[in-house]
Amino acid sequence: MSTQIACRELLELISGYLDDALPHDVHAAVAAHLAGCDGCTTVLEEFRSTIEMTGMLTEEQITPGQRDTLLAAFRDWTG
Amino acid sequence: MELVERLTPSMRRVARMFVSTDAVADEVVQEAWVGVLQGLDRFEGRSSLRTWIFRILVNTAKTRGQREARSVPFATLAGDDLDEPTWDPTAFEPDGHWSSLPFDWRGLPEARLSGRETLAVIGRAIEALPPMQAEVIRLRDVLGWSSEEVRNALELTDTNQRVLLHRARAKVRVAVEMHLRSVSA
Repeated sequence: MSTQIACRELLELISGYLDDALPHDVHAAVAAHLAGCDGCTTVLEEFRSTIEMTGMLTEEQITPGQRDTLLAAFRDWTG
Repeated sequence: MELVERLTPSMRRVARMFVSTDAVADEVVQEAWVGVLQGLDRFEGRSSLRTWIFRILVNTAKTRGQREARSVPFATLAGDDLDEPTWDPTAFEPDGHWSSLPFDWRGLPEARLSGRETLAVIGRAIEALPPMQAEVIRLRDVLGWSSEEVRNALELTDTNQRVLLHRARAKVRVAVEMHLRSVSA
């Protein structure tokens, strides 16, 4: 069975595809579409690269200016 | 102590979704840790320890939020854009195929791509997301949790987890695109 997916629809499936979370037939249809579509392949690769760069962030970069009082409280508390 | 230190920043952000102030969120986190210590012998290892800790946290935070008479609708946390298309609809022909190809940043030098500036752009883009989208992408893509862990920790359905993550990644990708367009112009 080959399901035809339009580019507009494929873009909604990219995260599921990258996470291997799609049903088999949908996954196969996405792979088939990507094989013949430069635009969607570009976006897929950009998602991949975005995810990779997001993974380079540290806890400090995603929690601006804190870790202070609560952790201090725990130190007192646990002695 | 190490676990406390590692999980506390995320726990405090998650708690803050359900209660009114940072101070109350801190209390919730402390209360949740007390619950964790008291209940540790009931932990059966069916989920990961951090998932289990987050479930205690989320329940504590929700209870506290209810006591504050502050019930936050799911749509407020998740964002009201989950049903909207990921991509600008004008980029497509009526049949759903590209009418103009997307911006391609793959030719850019690696240093420019993942340099400090781009990472800062990503950090800011995540902060600007609706709270639940932000937390899902932090746990999944920054801290490397599995989709199952995130779903269990935040009490999300499989579909919700995936939609929230996809929406978050799409917006972060757009922010990166805008940034790279401006520096390579």
